[in-house]
Amino acid sequence: MALAALLVLQTLCTVFFVADVVGDLILDGPDLHVVFEAAVAAALGVGVVFAGLEMRRTLERSRRAEAAVSVASGAFAELIAGYFERWRLTPAEADVALFALKGFDVAEIAELRGSAAGTVRAQLTRVYAKAGVSNRTQLLAIFTDDLLAGALPGLERRSALSSASDGGPA
Amino acid sequence: MAVAEPIAASGPSWDPIVRITHWSVATAIVINGLIDEGGSTLHIWIGYGALAMLVLRLLWGFIGPAEARFSSFPFSLSAAIDHLTNVFSGHHKTHRSHNPAGSVMVYALWGMLTLTAATGVILETEPFPVEHRQQAMAQVDSHEDGEENELEEIVEETHEIAANLLLILAALHVAGVAVESRLSGRNLVRGMIRGQPTSRSQE
Repeated sequence: MALAALLVLQTLCTVFFVADVVGDLILDGPDLHVVFEAAVAAALGVGVVFAGLEMRRTLERSRRAEAAVSVASGAFAELIAGYFERWRLTPAEADVALFALKGFDVAEIAELRGSAAGTVRAQLTRVYAKAGVSNRTQLLAIFTDDLLAGALPGLERRSALSSASDGGPA
Repeated sequence: MAVAEPIAASGPSWDPIVRITHWSVATAIVINGLIDEGGSTLHIWIGYGALAMLVLRLLWGFIGPAEARFSSFPFSLSAAIDHLTNVFSGHHKTHRSHNPAGSVMVYALWGMLTLTAATGVILETEPFPVEHRQQAMAQVDSHEDGEENELEEIVEETHEIAANLLLILAALHVAGVAVESRLSGRNLVRGMIRGQPTSRSQE
């Protein structure tokens, strides 16, 4: 990690300068040169502390982001389970519906569940009926709609960006 | 089993600063303690480098992330003995930071490292010996009377004893990690090399 390498280098420099200042003080006594060097060493020391604090913030931010992703994927699974429950899907229908959401086609689902394609097709039809949709795309749209409802600011930003690039280099 | 308990399969995962300072100090101890000649320019350079890494790690003990901070691994001999009793009787607890026995070892290593570095610095105030500096130092030395030479001998003796104790502690540390990893089935070395949680998902 680049920040860690920088921090290590800064610390090495600080120890170098502090040792140099102490050595000069013993040999030459405190003159202007030594005072200036001492100031540089002190500034480096403060720099190390600030870089360290920044490093910790970066570490904590990446850990939070990881936690958020796992929370989000957990929340999405919960959202799906909530809908399935509300539609009163049987366990078999819920299974088939989940495979359908993941993008498997009828033949694949039939193979995965060890049942006939006709059975899967019938189960999917019942799922669509219970969910009040007429095909797989509409089924998926129910979930993506919920997800996107919270993401409007991002959409606005993206459209602002694209309009900026439209009017840009002409 | 490793799949069922992914977190227990390895020890704590350490951040980059902990890992860099750990391995550079370890390398410095091996080179300065066993390979190069005491008092040589290389020895002094490496010594100052190790001192810098020690300073950074101690600073990190105050401002670093939770598991690197001193507050998450207090020094406690009774807790260390409890931990060792548990390990040898087959009860393993996972710790986010150093385990209690490891904590005692860490503080012992840091203490000995500080003593070794401090006496080393006193022996050689000028970190980057250049000819004219050495002459200047020689002039300073010539003004010293016998009493101060005696003092310097004590410092030198302390430096050597502390360095030898440091090597013994380091050997004990390596043995401790090996024994605990073996008995608990957790690879404690992995977290110090690879660090962050990828090691868990690859389990």
